[in-house]
Amino acid sequence: MVLKIFFPQCCNTADSGLLVGHWIPGHNSAVVLAVIHYPFIPGQVKKYLSELQSQTQVDLTVLGSWSMPKEGKEGMDSFLKDLSTIFPQKCWLQLSREIGKRGFICQVVQNNGKLLQDREQKNGDESSEGDKIILIHYDQRKVMLSQLHPVQDVSQKSDIEPSELRLVFQTVAQSQPLFFLDKYDDGPLKLTHWQSEGREASIIAELLKQASVPVCIFLTWLLSLWHWFCMVLKMLFISSKLSTCVQSGYRAVHFKTVFSPKKAATHMEFMRKANIFVSFLLDIALGLLLISWLYRENRISKLADTLVPVADRVAKELQELLEWLMGAPAGLKMNRALDQVLGRFFLYHIHLWSSYIHLMSPFIERILWYVGLSACLGLTFALSVLSDIVALLTFHIYCFYVYGARLYCLKIYGLSSLWRLFRGKKWNVLRQRVDSCSYDLDQLFIGTLLFTILLFLLPTTALYYLVFTLLRLVVVLFQGVIHLSVDFINSFHLFAIGLRICRPYRLAEGVKFKVLCQEPGTPLHLMMEINPLKCSSVLQCYRTPTYSCYPKDSWAALCKKLFVGELIYPWKQKTDKTD
Amino acid sequence: MGADSGPGAPAVVPWRKVLYERQPFPDNYVDRRFLEELRRNIRVHQYRYWAVVRETGLIAQQVSCVAVFLTVWSYMEQGDLVPSAVLWVCLSCALLGYGLYEVLGGSCVRERTRLADLQSSTIFLAFTFGFSPVLKTLTESVSTDTVHAMSAVMLLAHLVSFPYAQPSPPGSLSLNAALFGSVCLASRLPGALHTFTMLSCALLVFALWPCLLHRMREKAEWSFPWAAVLVCLAGVRGLGSLWPEGALLLSLALLTLTLVCPLLLVHLQRHKDNIHGPWDEAEIREDLSRFLN
Repeated sequence: MVLKIFFPQCCNTADSGLLVGHWIPGHNSAVVLAVIHYPFIPGQVKKYLSELQSQTQVDLTVLGSWSMPKEGKEGMDSFLKDLSTIFPQKCWLQLSREIGKRGFICQVVQNNGKLLQDREQKNGDESSEGDKIILIHYDQRKVMLSQLHPVQDVSQKSDIEPSELRLVFQTVAQSQPLFFLDKYDDGPLKLTHWQSEGREASIIAELLKQASVPVCIFLTWLLSLWHWFCMVLKMLFISSKLSTCVQSGYRAVHFKTVFSPKKAATHMEFMRKANIFVSFLLDIALGLLLISWLYRENRISKLADTLVPVADRVAKELQELLEWLMGAPAGLKMNRALDQVLGRFFLYHIHLWSSYIHLMSPFIERILWYVGLSACLGLTFALSVLSDIVALLTFHIYCFYVYGARLYCLKIYGLSSLWRLFRGKKWNVLRQRVDSCSYDLDQLFIGTLLFTILLFLLPTTALYYLVFTLLRLVVVLFQGVIHLSVDFINSFHLFAIGLRICRPYRLAEGVKFKVLCQEPGTPLHLMMEINPLKCSSVLQCYRTPTYSCYPKDSWAALCKKLFVGELIYPWKQKTDKTD
Repeated sequence: MGADSGPGAPAVVPWRKVLYERQPFPDNYVDRRFLEELRRNIRVHQYRYWAVVRETGLIAQQVSCVAVFLTVWSYMEQGDLVPSAVLWVCLSCALLGYGLYEVLGGSCVRERTRLADLQSSTIFLAFTFGFSPVLKTLTESVSTDTVHAMSAVMLLAHLVSFPYAQPSPPGSLSLNAALFGSVCLASRLPGALHTFTMLSCALLVFALWPCLLHRMREKAEWSFPWAAVLVCLAGVRGLGSLWPEGALLLSLALLTLTLVCPLLLVHLQRHKDNIHGPWDEAEIREDLSRFLN
């Protein structure tokens, strides 16, 4: 049987005392958490340990004794042996270290008095097959802060038995209250653990923690006001179409998560909160950068000045396109009368649109100047505003697309129905199939006439539909690119990547062992180092599942919709699903 | 059951042709009454030559109808016929035909009231007249050859799918094909009124005339051959005034259709060999291994 003892590195040079820790149930191993120094009163030690046990839910016990003899302080051995009677254990560890030697000497006394020690057995000697003892050194602070992946919730009941390593990590992480008392404190007990190497400057952190709670409450109240305001806005249909409103909605939800006064209970919640905060800060920083670039040298006025000519240019191009369609485009045979009708109709629309733009032109510079300031709310905001401006400027293309698509859809529907009439068949709605039907003379007559008319007018309508659909798809593509980049900024887990780069021990995939000392007569000493998570696993594990912008239909469904003439809205925003 | 000493062995119980009872015979056993119930040609209709010739008259007259229609169209396209005149003729023919229809069907119960008929005709006329400008410009951009080819295909489809057995409710595909072809042709005419006239003519010839003909066949059997001959002559004559070789071809075709094809039908009746009756299972007793090499 192999006995594994996890020994913190910070206690390598501690004075003699009692070892305090936890026996891992089910595995033959123990985790040493701290060393309690002399002098101590056993009763107080026991009281302290039971207090801590109720606080941390970790079964803390006295594991054994640690002796590091200094000059002039010999003769502790017998004293240490007697301690085992005061703190009765199943197994009593006796670790001792000699000055000048690297290895420890370890003796394990079981409560039936049998002595186990790791001495090299001479070859050919009897029974005991070497009950081996392995001492594994670990960096206490790193193990305390680290999170083993894949993450399993402590409160969750899982069918998988947590592994020994996971139990070790959990034990160290949960025993945080143990590390509050130090050997420099004035108290009945003096402990050595990782804090003894240097207390963290926790005053500022403590102040911030105290101040954060009322700030959070105040911000939550503000957010509820904003939420109420948004509910009123939602009444307007247009608010769901403008991506600015959508983005501000998302941000509100984000803030609700971040600023909730409740502390993050699990690791995943903490990571999510931290990530939202960090990405929001990055967003604001990029936005301010954009503002500084835009407003320097008055670039924004120049931008506003070029906006109206661009809109005019677009209108002129559309006009030329329509005139080309009204002629004989690409040598195709169009029905002249219908061509003229449709062409004039669309030309009139363009004329209306450009006069509207000209009406707005004196105000555009002012509006754009104020709108540009909104970039201080974040780069995502600025991109959403850009997307909305593009949508507004190309509104006439959208209108044309809708007209063309509706006309085409009607035509296709009529043609398919009348084709069935041509063959003498009918669509049976009840049975969802095509059945034969005997029509009246007048139905046949009028049906055939309409079929002929629709058939010969099909190329004209189809061409207009094709042209406007292509234009609309170009605009949609551009908006899609903007949306994708907004999404990327929203959901990229910057905090996790930063953590992985700067503090790799916090995201652990596993551990690796290095042999420290392998001398005969002493147990095997190993150093446990944390193996950080690979970057790709970090991205995969902490990918934010919400807000992803994905195409609603597959390619085949999209093509079918285009062919039949149904209106397409290719990008659908997934509504926020809380995880 | 009794002991089975082998297939075909005479047993006490006679063999019955049932499968729901266990018998001492194998499942595919049939006794001497193998194929006894086979009957040949029990429903063969013995055609008589002149009766068939009479029936073919319908097909011939339908072909001639198409020829008449094409003649009228051709004249209107050349400008020899004034559309208003044709319109008046059509109207009077329609009224005449309607009167005849009523007279012949005096004893029958009317399935449509006069009002419904009036409604239908009003709808036809209004619709066609309203849409004739649209119909006129329909095939402007299509080349003449395409239009002619389409019309030819459509009229052929009309002839092929015509319900010769029961022409009274007009078959959907045949009527629609005829109307499609006539719209294609009518859109080539010089004016909107021409289009309207052509369509009314098409309606008369393809939709209303078969109904009248059917009524005539039912009520006055003797008049049917005369009507068919009249229509055929009109078709040949009309075509002849435009294209003499075509008239010759048409008359040849009509004669073949009316006289030669029935002869062929009657002659080939001898070779008819239909078998009727239930199936019996056959057991192969021949040595087929000679086919394997």
